[in-house]
Amino acid sequence: MDSTVTMESTTTTDLAVTTDLTVTTNLTVTTDLTATGPVEPLVQPAAPRVEVLGIRHHGPGSARSVARALDELGPDLVIIEGPPELDALIPYAADPELVPPVAGLVYAVDTPRRAAFYPMAVFSPEWVALQWALAHGVDVRFADLPAVHLLAQDHDESKKESGPDDREGGEEAAGEGSLPREPVAGVAQHRPDPITQLATVAGYDDPERWWEDAVEHRRTSSLEHFAQLREAMAAVRDPLPTDDPAPPVPPPAAREALDRDDDGRREASMRKIIRAELRAGRSRIAFVCGAFHAPALHPDTFPPVSRDNALLTKLPKVKVAATWAPWSAARLSYVSGYGAGVRSPGWYRHLFLTPEPEVVSSWFVRVARALRAADLDASTASAVEAARLAEALAAIRGRPSVGLSELTDAAQTVLTEGSELPLQLIDKTMIIGEELGRVPDSVPMVPLARDLAAQQRSLRLKVSATSTVIELDLRRESQLARSVLLHRLRLLGVPWGSPTDVGTTTGTFKEAWELQWTPALAVGLIEASLYGTTVHAAASARAGEQASGAADLAALGVLIERCLLADLPDGLRAVVAALGERVARRHDTLGLLQTVEPLARTCRYGDVRGVDVVEVGEVLRTVVVRVGAGLRAACASLDDAGAGAMRAAVEGADRGVGLLDRSELNTPWREALRAVAGDDGVHGAVAGRASRLLLDAGLIDQQLAADRLSRRLSLGAPAVPAAAWLDGFLTGDALLLIYGEDLLGIIDEWLAAAPEETFEDLLPLIRRTFSRYHSAERRQIGRHLRDLSRGTRPTAETEDEFDLARAGPAVAAVARLLGFPVSDLRGSDLPDDGPGLEVGPRE
Amino acid sequence: MTDPQPETKPEADPGTSLDAGPADVLRAAAEDVYADELVALSAGDDRPRPPHWRLSPWAVTTYLLGGTLADGTVVSAKYLGSRRLMEIAVASLATDRALLLLGVPGTAKTWVSEHLAAAISGSSTLVVQGTAGTPEESLRYGWNYARLLADGPSRAAMVPSPVMRAMQTGRLVRIEELTRIPADVQDALITILSEKTLPIPELDDQVLARQGFNVIATANNRDKGVNDLSSALKRRFNTLVLPLPDSVAEEVEIVRTRVAALGASLQLPAGSEALAEIERVVTVFRELRSGLTTDQRTTIKSPSSTLSTAEAISVMTNGISLAAHFGDGVIRANDVAAGLVGAVIKDPVQDRLVWQEYLETVVKDRREWSDLYRACRDLG
Repeated sequence: MDSTVTMESTTTTDLAVTTDLTVTTNLTVTTDLTATGPVEPLVQPAAPRVEVLGIRHHGPGSARSVARALDELGPDLVIIEGPPELDALIPYAADPELVPPVAGLVYAVDTPRRAAFYPMAVFSPEWVALQWALAHGVDVRFADLPAVHLLAQDHDESKKESGPDDREGGEEAAGEGSLPREPVAGVAQHRPDPITQLATVAGYDDPERWWEDAVEHRRTSSLEHFAQLREAMAAVRDPLPTDDPAPPVPPPAAREALDRDDDGRREASMRKIIRAELRAGRSRIAFVCGAFHAPALHPDTFPPVSRDNALLTKLPKVKVAATWAPWSAARLSYVSGYGAGVRSPGWYRHLFLTPEPEVVSSWFVRVARALRAADLDASTASAVEAARLAEALAAIRGRPSVGLSELTDAAQTVLTEGSELPLQLIDKTMIIGEELGRVPDSVPMVPLARDLAAQQRSLRLKVSATSTVIELDLRRESQLARSVLLHRLRLLGVPWGSPTDVGTTTGTFKEAWELQWTPALAVGLIEASLYGTTVHAAASARAGEQASGAADLAALGVLIERCLLADLPDGLRAVVAALGERVARRHDTLGLLQTVEPLARTCRYGDVRGVDVVEVGEVLRTVVVRVGAGLRAACASLDDAGAGAMRAAVEGADRGVGLLDRSELNTPWREALRAVAGDDGVHGAVAGRASRLLLDAGLIDQQLAADRLSRRLSLGAPAVPAAAWLDGFLTGDALLLIYGEDLLGIIDEWLAAAPEETFEDLLPLIRRTFSRYHSAERRQIGRHLRDLSRGTRPTAETEDEFDLARAGPAVAAVARLLGFPVSDLRGSDLPDDGPGLEVGPRE
Repeated sequence: MTDPQPETKPEADPGTSLDAGPADVLRAAAEDVYADELVALSAGDDRPRPPHWRLSPWAVTTYLLGGTLADGTVVSAKYLGSRRLMEIAVASLATDRALLLLGVPGTAKTWVSEHLAAAISGSSTLVVQGTAGTPEESLRYGWNYARLLADGPSRAAMVPSPVMRAMQTGRLVRIEELTRIPADVQDALITILSEKTLPIPELDDQVLARQGFNVIATANNRDKGVNDLSSALKRRFNTLVLPLPDSVAEEVEIVRTRVAALGASLQLPAGSEALAEIERVVTVFRELRSGLTTDQRTTIKSPSSTLSTAEAISVMTNGISLAAHFGDGVIRANDVAAGLVGAVIKDPVQDRLVWQEYLETVVKDRREWSDLYRACRDLG
C-alpha cells in the first residue's frame, strides 16, 4: 500500500502527509442520536437511555444540532468519538487560553513520527459537545479504538498501516460525501458511500451539497432529527455487515476484510465503553460520533459482548502520549491537500458564530471591508444589493438557505463587476481563514516545545499561520539570537523559517527568513525532543548524530557551516572530531577538497561567533596537507564529468586557503597546484584552472603561462582536451586576454590552424568559454583580433585617447581619498590651477 | 457597428412587431419564434412569480437552458453554457437590480438579453440601440413638436422612449451597446435605475416605474473605454461576464444549432453534412484566439479580429449559402475559405501576415486539412 511506504520512509518533512491522513478520522459525519424513546417500554422510568448524535466532523449545522440536542436531553455523560487517550486533555479544554482550531495530538512515545491528529474548530460538533459538558459540569470522555493499538498497528504490521487511515477516508466519505480523498484512501471506495446514496435518493448529484442542504443549513433539528439520520444511515449501511465482525459472506478481497475489521474494531471499542458506562449506572448518555457509526452504537443493535471482546483481544500495543497542538484554518481546508478537510472553514466559522438573521448581510459587510482594505471600491449599498441577490439566487436554486456558492456568485456580480480576480483575496482571508489556534502553557508539552515557546516569547517571534518575511541584522544581538534559533530549528528538522533572498545587498550581516508555522511542525518538535530538552541541547545532539552518520566528507563540511550558523560550539566540536577521524582514514581527495572551504570559513569567522577555532585549524591543516599530497594523483585519469567536479572543488579549496592566507596552508596547497598545473597528463579542465589560479596569485609569470598555453594548443595535442584546458584557463577575468601579451595571438593561431572537422568540434566549446565574458570585453577582444589579422600589433594601450583635463578632477578626488597631496598632482598635470573640480581648457 | 454579431441583433424595430404576423419577416422576435415553449412553460408553472413577470424565475431559467417539462414539452436550449450564469442573470432581475451583460463580441449577450426579455415580459421589442449618436430622448422622452407648438407642453405632446414605455407598463427594456452611448446621455439612466422614476420637469410631473420594470444592458468589454461607465452608473448594475465557450465540443454545438436555425429562416437547403466543416472552422478560430494549437505544441500569433463564436456562425452560414447556390449543396473547404479569410483578416497588413504564418505552419502540416490549405492559398 502506498501509504505504508510513505509512512515508513518519511523523513520529518513528509510528516505533514502522514499526519494528514490520520486527521481524517475526525472529519466524519455526525451520526444521529438514537431516539430510544419508541424502543423503550416506559415501564422503568429510570431505564438508561443512549442517544447517538451522528454528526459530520467540522459541520457547523451538526454542531448547532448537537448543542440543541444536548440541551434537550440533559445527559449525565457525554461520549465523544476519539481515542480514550484524549481523556487526559479534557480538563485543559476549559482553559480560555485554549483557542481553537486546535488538535488533540496522540503520538507514540518512542517513535513520535507515528502520530494522529484530532483537529477541532470552534464549529466542530466534538468541540461543542466538549464545551457543553464542561460548562454544565457533566462528565465527558472519548471512545474509540485506543491509540495504543491504533499507532501500534502502524508499527507492527506495515500492511495494516493504512488501515486506520483508509478507515478515516471511508468515514470521511460517509460524512463528507464528495470530498476528495487522499490517494491512499482509495480503498474506501470499495464501500458504497452512504452519503452519496442518500443524496442520490434525494435527487442531488452532489452529495456534499445535499448534506449542506439537508443537515448543515437546517437550524431546526434536534434529537428527532438525529434519530431520522441514524435510520437513514442504517438503511444505507444495511447491505454492509456493519455490526458483524465476521461477515457471513467472505469478503471478495483481503483488503476489504481489513477495512471492515477496522470498522468493527473501532465500533467494538466504542460499544465497550458504552457498556461499561451503562453498568456504572448512567441513565442518559449522549454519544457524539461520525454519522456513519451511528447505527452501530445503539444498544438495541449491540452484538454479543463476546464477539466484541474477541475483536479487541491480542491487539499490539505501543506506549503513547497525548497533548493539544495548535491547528490552523488552512489545515482544516482541503485546499492545503488535507484529504478530509472542509472546503471553507472560514465560512463555516462565520455560519456558526453569526446569529441567523445576520449571516448573509454580515458576510457581505466583511467581504466589502476586505475589498476596501485592498483598495477596491465596495460601497455599503453594494453590500446590501449583494445580500439581496444572494437570497434571490438561493430561492431560484431551491436551496433552504444561502450557501457559499450563492455568496460567491453574488459578490462577483455586484461587488467586483464580474471579475473573479478580487475574489481570490476573500478566498484566502475569509473563506478559508487565517486563524491559528493557541494552546496554554499549562498543557503538557514536551520540554523541547516548552523551551521553544519560551524563546519565541523572549525573542518576540510571532507564531503565525500566514507566511511572513523578516529581515535580520546580525550585528544586533537580539536579531542574531533570532537567526541562531531559526538555524537551530532547521538543524532539528523543524523548518519553521526558511532562508529567502535578502535582496540586493551583498553584505553578510543580513539574513531574510520566511516564517510560517504549520501544525505538522508540532510533530517535528516532538520527534526532535528525543534529542534533548532545550533547543540548544537538542540541536547540538542532532548535529553530533548527523556527523557520525554522515555519508561523506562533503556532508560533514556542510554540517560544519550549519553548526557555525546555529552557534553550536558543542555540535561543532563533535562534527570536527568526526571529520578529523574521517580525514585520518579516508583517501577521498575530492571529499577532502570540498571540506576545505567550509573549514576555512569556520576558522576565519568562527571566533567572531565564539567558537574555539584552534581545533578546527588543526583539522584544516591536516586536510590541506593530505590534499596537497593526494591532489596530483587524484587528478589523473579523470573523465569530463569527474574533471568538472574536481575543478569546482579545486576552486573552492583555493578560495578557502586564500581566505585564511596562512603560510602553513599556502605552501602545501600551492605546491600541489604547481604539480597539477605542470603535469600534461592531467585533465585539461583541472590543469588549465590550476595554471590560471597560480598565474592570478603571481606564482608563475605570464611567459610560463604563455608557454603552457602554446604547448597545450600545439598541433600535436588533440584539440578537444586543448579546448578544456583553455576553458579552465580563461574562466574568470577577461583582462588577461585583453592585456596579456601573446595569449590571444596563440589562441588565434591555434584556432585558425585547426582542420575543418576539428574546428566544428571545437566551436561550441570555445564559444561557451568566450560567452562568459561581458559583451564589452568580447568587443575589445574582437578588436584586438582584427588588429592581429591586419598584422598591426595592438598598441599597449591607447593613452592618447585619455582626456587628461577631464580626468583631472576624478584623479584628484581619488588621490585625496588616498591621502596624496592633491595640489601637487593638479599642478603637474593641469595647466590651469583652478579649483580642481572644474574642467580646464584643453591643451 | 463593429460588433460582428449580425445574427443576434434585433433587426426588427418595435414597429414591425406590432403587426408581427407576416411569415416573411427575415427574423422574427424571440417571443414569436418560441411562443409555444413560452405558453407551455407558463401553463405548467405554479411557482411564485415576481409582479408582472410572465413566468417564475425558475421557468425563465428553464426557458434559457432548455429541458423537458412535466407535460412532455421539450424546451430548446437558448444558451449553451454555465447554468450558474443564467441563474445569476434571472436572480438579478428578480431583485429589481439592473443587469449588465459584459463580454467580447459574439458571446451571446444580445441573444441572452432578448430571450430574457421575451420570457419575463413577453416582449423583447423595447430596445434602445446604443450608438455614438444616441440622444437623451432615446432614454427619456421626446416631443411631438406640432402638438407642443399648438397646445404647449402636455403629456399628450410627449413621445415616450422605450425606457419610459417599459416603466409605464412594468416590462423589461434592453439597452444595446451601453458603452457606445455618450457619457452624458448614459447619466440619464442613473435616476431611472436608482429611484425608478423619470422626472418630467417641463410638466412638473414624473413617471413612476411600475413593478416588473427593469433594464438589461449589454456592453462590449473588448473595446473598453469607448465611453466607459461612470462608477455611479456601474454601481447600479449587476455585472455578469459572459465567457467564450469552454470547449471545442461546446462551441461546435453552438455553431451547429445556430447555423441550422439560420439556414431554416434563410431558406437555405438543409441537411448539408456540415459538422466536419464546423469543427474545422471552430478549431481554426479557437487556435487563433488562444495563440496556441490544440495539441499545445505550437505557439502562433493572434490576429486583431475577435474571432467570436458568432463570426464562426456567419462563416458557416456564408459557406452553406455558397455551396447551395453555386456548388452541389455539400459544403466543402472552398466554400468556407472565403468567409474564413475574411473573418480572420480585419487588418490588411498585420492580420494577413498572421494568417499566412498560420497557414504555412499549422494548416499545411495537417494532412487531412490539405483541401482547406489549397483553398485558402488560392484566395491569396
